[in-house]
Amino acid sequence: MTLEELKQKMDQAHYIYDDTLATVLYVALQLGRPLLIEGAAGVGKTEIAKVMASALDRDLVRLQCYEGLDESKALYEWNYQKQLLSIQVNMNAQDKDALTKSLFSDEYLLERPLLQSIRSEKPVVLLIDEIDKADEEFEAFLLELLSDMQVSIPEVGTIKAKSIPFVVLTSNRARPLSEALRRRCAYLYIEYPDMEKELAILRAKLPHVDDRLCAQVALAVQKLRASETILKKPSIAETLDWAAALDALGLRELTPDALRQTAGFVLKNNEDIAELNLDDHHACQCGGCGGHHHD
Amino acid sequence: MPASAEAAEDTTMTDPQVYLEKLSAFSRMLRLEGLIVSPKETEDAARLLIGLGMADREQVKTALRTVYAKSREEQLSFDRCFDGFFISEEKMRQQAKEQMQREQELQQHRQEAEEELQLNGKPMDLDESQREAYAAMPEDARQRLRSFMEKYRGTAERNPKLYGEFIHSVFARAILEQQMLMENAGVGAQEIDPEMGILYRDISEFKDTEIPKAISMIQAVARQINGELSAKRKGSAHTGKLDFRKTIRKGLETGGSFYRLRYRKKRAQRKHLVLLCDVSGSMVQFSEFALRFIQSLNQVADSSRTFLFSETMVEVDAFQLQNMDQFRSHVRELGIYGRGTDVGTALAQLCLKQPPILNQATTLLILSDTKTIDQPRAVRAVMEAKRQCGRVLWLNPIPQNKWQYLRSVQTMAEICTMVPCSTLRELASACRRLTKI
Repeated sequence: MTLEELKQKMDQAHYIYDDTLATVLYVALQLGRPLLIEGAAGVGKTEIAKVMASALDRDLVRLQCYEGLDESKALYEWNYQKQLLSIQVNMNAQDKDALTKSLFSDEYLLERPLLQSIRSEKPVVLLIDEIDKADEEFEAFLLELLSDMQVSIPEVGTIKAKSIPFVVLTSNRARPLSEALRRRCAYLYIEYPDMEKELAILRAKLPHVDDRLCAQVALAVQKLRASETILKKPSIAETLDWAAALDALGLRELTPDALRQTAGFVLKNNEDIAELNLDDHHACQCGGCGGHHHD
Repeated sequence: MPASAEAAEDTTMTDPQVYLEKLSAFSRMLRLEGLIVSPKETEDAARLLIGLGMADREQVKTALRTVYAKSREEQLSFDRCFDGFFISEEKMRQQAKEQMQREQELQQHRQEAEEELQLNGKPMDLDESQREAYAAMPEDARQRLRSFMEKYRGTAERNPKLYGEFIHSVFARAILEQQMLMENAGVGAQEIDPEMGILYRDISEFKDTEIPKAISMIQAVARQINGELSAKRKGSAHTGKLDFRKTIRKGLETGGSFYRLRYRKKRAQRKHLVLLCDVSGSMVQFSEFALRFIQSLNQVADSSRTFLFSETMVEVDAFQLQNMDQFRSHVRELGIYGRGTDVGTALAQLCLKQPPILNQATTLLILSDTKTIDQPRAVRAVMEAKRQCGRVLWLNPIPQNKWQYLRSVQTMAEICTMVPCSTLRELASACRRLTKI
């Protein structure tokens, strides 16, 4: 696939991207490397995996990471209940070795996302979401899969990938990832979108919302992000929610009143909302409506 | 890049061998910048270059950055290297010309300096780096020193030894200031990215408008460190003792067979921290930041006690001082704001407290710039505190490159571990060190 073809496919998936993102995705695809995406919460890291699945016409297999995630939840698990039942049923069988062997066959193997992604006949997109939430041991456990596209199961042996998945790992940088993991991946850092990109996203995702309102929302969000005093910067998801909320209320313009009614959709803590209303008597601080005087 | 230069590069880089040679040099350069670059990455980069060509410089930069840089910090270093390495022939020639001019000027200055740095017909007692610093000084600064020497030349005839020492000390001081200026100019390379920049800036230079941003950055980094520590602790090996209760419970899932044994986990051994924060004059801002940082690290210590000091010492409840304004007004109310620093008195009071605060399970953190009244008494007090507690760590807000010029820092660094903390990044790595105590 060429870079142009990839761009076309992403266009077909109605995804708003810039040249940097397209090039990085192309590079990761070309080299067959997992792609590690870092960035603030809500900038669209997970969305990239979904879009790639759609653009490449592949299934998306998702592994959501959390503290305590281990191989039994991520890779495979033996179906103990079924194994125990089988032992009970075949208790009087003559060939004990055959019984033991059969207990560790595919029939009793419960596939979890990682195994599922490499045993799939058709290549898939594997999303390992929020890898920074998983423990360091799990990160180390992933190394074999990411570098050699194979996993080792003690009772079965090494399982090589039938098809090579396109792996996307995302991280909010809650903790630094190991060098070993980073070295095996292509790397992408996503920043908040600029005004034009944000507006394009709003138009693509909420085509029914008034253009003027979209522009005001995009501008306001840009100003809020640039503000030193706002601690929790609004993400793209919050921009979309905000625009949708304003639209649902039938508002066509971002007035200070509209802002007050819907501030909870864009700012998610009390201090930030209070900061927005600080100079209420003088001018609205959102930046999108140009103060209290609207034209 | 000008079109002619692009075309020139295109023609010279059609041969894959040329790509590889250039790329291996580029990889070496990245390694010197601190990036970990394996042959595999160079190979990947070569494959990409052959595929993409050099027509679109930004595209090549993005592609190579994806391969070589594996973190936000590495991306910044990569961008600097790329912009310096992949330049047009014309720009390269211009840079070489400028460099040659600079070298010639410096050589001329060196020769002049050789003649100027003489006292009573003999070369001044200055080392090579000081001579270099003098040569790099602006002409007006050197002129000032020369006229100063001329002005006191009359004294030379009356008392050559006194004149020599006086002039030497003035020169040495001016050169030292020049060296410090040159080192300061080197700081700020990370300013390209404003978000990252605040991590690398001197804490004492934060503007009021930057404080909320710095605080949110502290919270993010503290969360990160807590996460690391929590993960480390969870991962620590078990004690080797069987946990019967958990094993039996787990066994119920598999029909009573003890399929997996469960062991007792090791108990986390966390230490007791005592923080001694200097709040005299310029130290307030640093102490506030450092205190906030350390208090956010709930994974570091089981318990902690905080003391603020200037000329005298007062215990405070750090959790009530989480707000910058509260911190400052509380410090003012205590009557210790704006006074001089007396490390000796503060530590002596701390060591004499009953019931004792310091013991072998204690780590004492001193947040101060080491500038204190009565230095010998302060040294004795630090040694006594060191004897009483397990470890003393000195978090120093003075940039490390200036330590060599400050006798007080050198003295204290000899008797306890001195950790540089002039920036939030250094403060974060100092806090990571606390985990190893």
